Formats: sequence, structure tokens, C-alpha cells
Amino acid sequence: MSEVARQGASGQGTPRKPDNAIKWGDAVTGYLLALPAVVALLYLRVIPAVDALWESFHQRSLFDQTQKMFVGLENYVFLFTQSPTFLQSVKVTLLFVVLTVAVQTVVALALAVLFTQKGWGMSFWRTLVFLPITIPTAVSAVVWGTAFRGDGIINGFLLRLGLDPQPFLASSSQALWSITILASWIGVGYWMVFLIAGLKDIPDEVKEAASLDGAGAFRTFFSITLPLLRRPLAFVVVANTVANFLQFVPAAILTQGGPQDSTRFVMYEIYTQAYVQGDVSLADTQIVLVLCVLLAIVAVQFRLLKAKD
Amino acid sequence: MQQTEPKSPGLAVFNTALGIFVAFLFMLPVIWMVTSSIRPNAEIFRYLSPLTIWSVVPTRVTLENIVGLLQTGFARALVNSLVVTMITTGLGLIIALLAGFSVSVLEFPGRDVLFALFVVGFSVPFDAVAVPLSAQVRDVGLTNTYFGLALAGLGNGFAIYLLRQFFLGIPRSLAEAARLDGASWLRILFSVYLPLAKGPVTAAGLTLFVFQWQTYLWPLLVASDPSMQVGPVALAGLVSLSGTVDFSQMFAGALFLSIVPAGLMLWLQRYFVQSVARSGMTG
Repeated sequence: MSEVARQGASGQGTPRKPDNAIKWGDAVTGYLLALPAVVALLYLRVIPAVDALWESFHQRSLFDQTQKMFVGLENYVFLFTQSPTFLQSVKVTLLFVVLTVAVQTVVALALAVLFTQKGWGMSFWRTLVFLPITIPTAVSAVVWGTAFRGDGIINGFLLRLGLDPQPFLASSSQALWSITILASWIGVGYWMVFLIAGLKDIPDEVKEAASLDGAGAFRTFFSITLPLLRRPLAFVVVANTVANFLQFVPAAILTQGGPQDSTRFVMYEIYTQAYVQGDVSLADTQIVLVLCVLLAIVAVQFRLLKAKD
Repeated sequence: MQQTEPKSPGLAVFNTALGIFVAFLFMLPVIWMVTSSIRPNAEIFRYLSPLTIWSVVPTRVTLENIVGLLQTGFARALVNSLVVTMITTGLGLIIALLAGFSVSVLEFPGRDVLFALFVVGFSVPFDAVAVPLSAQVRDVGLTNTYFGLALAGLGNGFAIYLLRQFFLGIPRSLAEAARLDGASWLRILFSVYLPLAKGPVTAAGLTLFVFQWQTYLWPLLVASDPSMQVGPVALAGLVSLSGTVDFSQMFAGALFLSIVPAGLMLWLQRYFVQSVARSGMTG
């Protein structure tokens, strides 16, 4: 229909179409506009997930990768009872996520409070803290990896302070912590932005009322500000958990999961399972388990967002 | 950003000093990266132990590293990264715009469920399904293609969420008036909603760009051909392929890969910060 004809139908004086008919047209348009995203969702998430689920009930022949055999839950049983590395990778990932999310949330909160104080050029200094999120993880990994070397700049700093040099990534007790520092350098500024927005949402009168009542800065922060910041804090914790759950780049570039599997993240385990060991079915089984955990966390994240609507 | 005049100058000076100190701490790795990329390779580790001012201030400045790096095929990888990221940002933005508009302005059965599926589905990190997806992509012959590489970042839940939240805040009467004038929904999106949405569109585009620019696992799986290598993978190759690492070239590569997204963010960050503040993701 041409533009003119349509104007004639809905414009001056001509009878309007019945409501139902209009809505039906809107509905079709709605579905059509959402279609590219639906296709992307199916192709980039749903189909590979279903594929992994299907594959996880099978085993491929070592000699002929096209030969597939149905094995039921055998892959799952193997992972939890016999796999030499799977449970270790779960342990490493959980420890890393808890450490990293805790460190990042506390630091991001402290910096959010600092950068909402009055001062000169505060939004510019804040931007510099935020900048590392834009730097590719591979870049951060090689730069920090070089800094963490035995003869690197961090040990140079420790020497200057008169302290002993540390092995960092070369030690099984320090490697995970070192990656936590690297991940926090990347992430803290990003999560800080969400907390700053949350802090700015708190009306000044609330804080002023508290200080008029004679509450000190610390009292006001812990009994007024923090409870009002509950939702953005919850969002940061949940979204940050998702962001760090599939950490891969530092392990792949810097540690190869070592020393002694101490940085064998789940995503690195899946990758080596599929491409080094060549056991795609086992890799897909781990992917199914990871997807279940991630879906649960993401659903919580979505509920946190929805509650606001 | 509204910056009220400090009431007590002493406290403001203290806050500012602390703010500068924190910013300096976060910028230290970047400063080290920049200065190391323009000093001769032999001097990078020479002044590190113990730390002195010469650890981060070059005594001799050279552009050899950058010239040498660009001769290694790194330039090609950078161009690949740019092409792939542009495809993702362009297509991803169109997908997110259409979907965000659909689930906020149009009314149809199952609309809220669809929105939930988009956000939840796309919020599951792409890497989680990268291994099975790489087999799918191989089957349709998209390995070692720009489009295959660009697939990683196409669907972005955060972008759809930002745009939907913004569109919900635009009075419906605007759309209804345009409707009565006979405008199609697509036309309403592009001539009524889009001009108002500069901020959230910029924020969504920035998110898509930064995500795709840093992808590492996906290119590893679908671009085995050296001529299709992207920047981050080429950088990792500089470190692990050769037994002896040319650190000055590595730092130069790191610098190149950081300048593009960091520059964009410095330029456009206020849109990002505003969109986050307005999105209802807080408070």
C-alpha cells in the first residue's frame, strides 16, 4: 500500500479500522522485527547448547571421529568419579570466582564512594579507573604476565621496598591470586560505574537527615547508604560472577592451567579436553554442566533487573 | 556530570588527591606499556630491579619496535580485527535495535517472555557454547571468514536491555501520532525513536565493539588460517611462538590493540555512564 493510500485509510474523517485489526498488524510487525534476534539466539546459543546436550550422551570412537555410540550418562559419571582434572577445574573456578568477585565488589564500592565525593576533575579520574575494561584481555594478560615475571617490574618494586621477590605465576600457591589481581584491574572500574549510578540515586535528603541526627560518616554509610545500595550491589555480584566464570585467556596465554593445575579454569579444561585430548563428547558434557550453572545465575540476574520495572 | 562546588576546600583537596592517586595506580600498567613500547628491547628489563624512575621513563626512545612489529603480519591482524569488529557492531546494533523496539513499543502475545529469553539467553557468555558452535560454523563453511569471526558478538543481551529500557521511557503518544499519519513501524523506529536514542545507541554500540574487539577463544577455534588471524591472537603468538620474546614488539602490539577501544571509550564514555545510570540497573 502506498503512503498516500494508507493516510487516506487512517486519516481525516475516514472510519478507523477496528482495534483488533490494528493490534493484529502490530503483532506481526513485532514478531518480524524480533526475528533477527530470535534467529541469532537460536543459532548462537540454543542450537549449540542442544548439540552439546545430545553429544554428552554419546562417545566418539578414537579411531574414527564420525563413529558415535550412545552411552547414556556415562560421560557424566566419568567426570565426577574418574576424570583426573574435572573436579580440580571446578574447585579452581569456584575459588577464583569467590575471590575475584569479593575483591572487586569491595574495591569497586570503595572507589564508587570516593568518586562521588566533592573534588576537582573527579569524573576524569574515574574515567581512567574505568579504562582497563576496554583493553583486550589478551593485552592485559601479556602486560601483567611480563610484570609478574621473576625479573619483572613488580618484583623490582618489592626489592625497592626491601622485600623478597615472589614467584607469582610460577607458584601454585600464588598463581590464582595473581590472576585475581589482573582480573580486578580489568573489572573494578566497570562495576564501579554501576555502583556510582546507584549512589547517585540515593536522595541527598536521606543522607542529610542522617547526619542531622548526629550520625557520623561511617554510621551513615553502613546503616543508610549500604542498605539502599542493596540492589545495585546484588546486580554487580551476580553479573560479575557470570563475567568471571569462564575465565580463559590468562590460563591459555600465561599459565597453561598450571602450575600443578592451580589455574585450570573450567573453560580451559573444556578447551584442552576438546582440542588437546580430542575428546569432544567429554568437553560437551562439561559444557552442559557449565550451561546449567550459568543459566541459573543469569536467571537470578534477570530477576534483579525485572524487580525494578 | 554535575560537579557541585566543594563546601570545605580541605576535604575536596584530599578527595582530589586520593582520586588522582587511585587513577595513577590504575594507569601504571598502561604507562609502563606505552613507555616500554618505545624503548629498545634490551632496555626493558635493564632498569626494573630494583624499581627506579628509569623503569618507566625511557632513556632512549625508538620507533624500531613499531616498525618491526608491523612487518610481522601484525598489521594484517589489526585490519582483520577492525573489519570483524565493524561487522559485529553494525549488524549487532541493527539486531538489538529491532529487537529492543519490538519488545518495548509493539504489543503482541508473548512479548515479555521473548524479552526475557533475549536477555537471559544472550547473557550466557558466548564462550560457553563456542566449542559446539565452532562445529556448526565449520559445517556451513564459515571458518576463516570475516562473517564467521563476527558471529561471536552479534547477540548482546545488555544492548537489547539498554535500548528497550530507553524506548519504554519515550511517550507512546509520539508513536501513535506518527501511526495516525500513516507511518510504518519501521519508519517510526528510524525517524522518531532513533534520533532520540543517541546515548543508548552509542552505549550499545560501544558494548558490542569492546566485546568483539577482545574476543580470543572464538578466533582460536574458527580462524586457523594465519591471514585471518585477529589482533589478540597475533599478540599471544608473539609471546608463545618464539622461545625468545621480543618484549618491545609485544608491548607495541599491546599498545596498538588498546588504543582503538580505549580511545573510543574516552571519547564516548559519558553516553555509556549515562545509559547505565538511566537503565534501571541500579537503585
